[in-house]
Amino acid sequence: MIAIQEMKSKKRSRVIGLSIVYTLLVLGLIIMVFPYVWMILASFKIPSEIYNRFFPSRFTLQNYDLMFSAGESGFNNPFIRSVFNSLIISSIATFSVVFIGSITGYALARLRFRGRDFLNHFVLFQMLFPAILFLIPRFLLMLELGWINTYQGMFSPFMVSAWAIFLYVQFYKTIPQELIDAARIDGCSELRIVFSVMLPLSKSVTAIVAIFTFMSTWDEFMWYIIVTKDYDLMPLSALLGLYTRGEYSSYPGIQTAGAVLLTVPILILFFFFRKSFSKGIAMSGIKG
Amino acid sequence: MNKIAGIGLVAPYIIHTVIFWLYPFLWGLVIAFKRWNIISPEKEFVGLSNFIGVFYDPLFWISFKNSLYFMVVYVPLSIISALVVALLLSRIKVLQSFFATGYLMSYISAGVAYSIIFRLLFSGDGLINTWLSKINISIPWFSDPNIAMASIALIVVWKFLGYYSLIFLAGLQAIPKSLYEAASIDGASDWVQFFRITVPLLNPSFTIVLVFAIMLSFNIFTEPYMITGGGPLDSTQTFVMQIYHQTFTALHAGYGSSFAIIIAAISFIFVFVIKKTVERDVI
Repeated sequence: MIAIQEMKSKKRSRVIGLSIVYTLLVLGLIIMVFPYVWMILASFKIPSEIYNRFFPSRFTLQNYDLMFSAGESGFNNPFIRSVFNSLIISSIATFSVVFIGSITGYALARLRFRGRDFLNHFVLFQMLFPAILFLIPRFLLMLELGWINTYQGMFSPFMVSAWAIFLYVQFYKTIPQELIDAARIDGCSELRIVFSVMLPLSKSVTAIVAIFTFMSTWDEFMWYIIVTKDYDLMPLSALLGLYTRGEYSSYPGIQTAGAVLLTVPILILFFFFRKSFSKGIAMSGIKG
Repeated sequence: MNKIAGIGLVAPYIIHTVIFWLYPFLWGLVIAFKRWNIISPEKEFVGLSNFIGVFYDPLFWISFKNSLYFMVVYVPLSIISALVVALLLSRIKVLQSFFATGYLMSYISAGVAYSIIFRLLFSGDGLINTWLSKINISIPWFSDPNIAMASIALIVVWKFLGYYSLIFLAGLQAIPKSLYEAASIDGASDWVQFFRITVPLLNPSFTIVLVFAIMLSFNIFTEPYMITGGGPLDSTQTFVMQIYHQTFTALHAGYGSSFAIIIAAISFIFVFVIKKTVERDVI
């Protein structure tokens, strides 16, 4: 009898404990999501309500209208063009990081050649260097190459990632040798082996590499404002940042609409690939 | 066969690394010893004077102080809150990944976007102060030099909370359940278990998060650039803003480069000391 009562009270205290845990998690989540909700609501408000109201008194599209007709409309509109620029820069960088990451990772994990061990160490060594060391000399390099105000000036430093190579090396070490041997017997070249054997088996690594590369090049700000002076060529992050500090500093409506435009594509990626995001972080060692 | 293919496959990486990594790295070292304004062809060798100049630069010390202030607010706050979230998440089974994903959402917001949002939200007459005014409080988040840097630290805590808690959660899940079971049979209380089992075994996660947080403290740029522009009264000037300003506004490329080398060295020292003092071998 006493034992049963004890069990009951234990069970009750566990239920109470769990409901406290859930309550705290929900409260925390509200704080975490609040800025997003505010941002989206603010972008549909008349500008005077952005500062002091949470819910708009009426929904309006005027901020988006203004943004997409600022200067000119259509493809000549700076915001529309900057989205296009962002897509080009981030896609090229992402494609290249995956491509070079996978072929280098394959060679470093599975092939024997002179200098391989050195390169394996060098990749790890590279990750220790803070980006700030490269900022100025890379800019000078772009000057020398005549790549200021060009797409290649913006994406070229981001085309290779030691971190991506490292992830591929780790993963390719786990793939059975028989698969590689079988492909060789079938007459596959080493490049073919990477693309028809290794890459299809490493979808989860590729997803992580691609997503983090795309996100970091989409969000990048400092490098873009250093190598581009021309608004026509700027990616959205740079354009929106400079507009907010300059021309549109007193237009909170356009600023919030721009912030939505900058955030939503990555938010969509996040919802489709949320597992890859968490996995990439849990594997850690990831670039900040 | 294997050899040629191997070299062929690593060639793109090597070429890129030589051009965009090694060459700039060496060049950065060389120009740190020169006085050069980028425009003129003249590059005068000045020995260590750029490096010495950095230590006589009042803005270097202001930025240093600001970075330490940022760190003092950011590091404990982000680690404690992330640990709390991770501990809560580790207690639940239903909806665990839903909550983990929700907390991670802030991590994906672009520096420019969330700076815009928080600058408006926390502005003098912004929504947060409008709400606070109902209880007669008004906080000059970004306009008071004494708290502007702390406010910036606060929004960066928001951004990385989910990220750090995922690292902690992975660490928590790696601790064998049997340890806790054995401890409760021996009559250890929850607190004792937390400090004797959880904290020591979580050491690798602590170290990673601490290193990330410290590296970040020395490298903030976008948030102060977007929100305060370094003000008020230089209270949010950071190292990277100084390097940016010296090089791309004042065109002192050599000086900027030696500044960058000093900052890299300082963050190395911090990370090294932290690793030495915090990192423990976990069996």
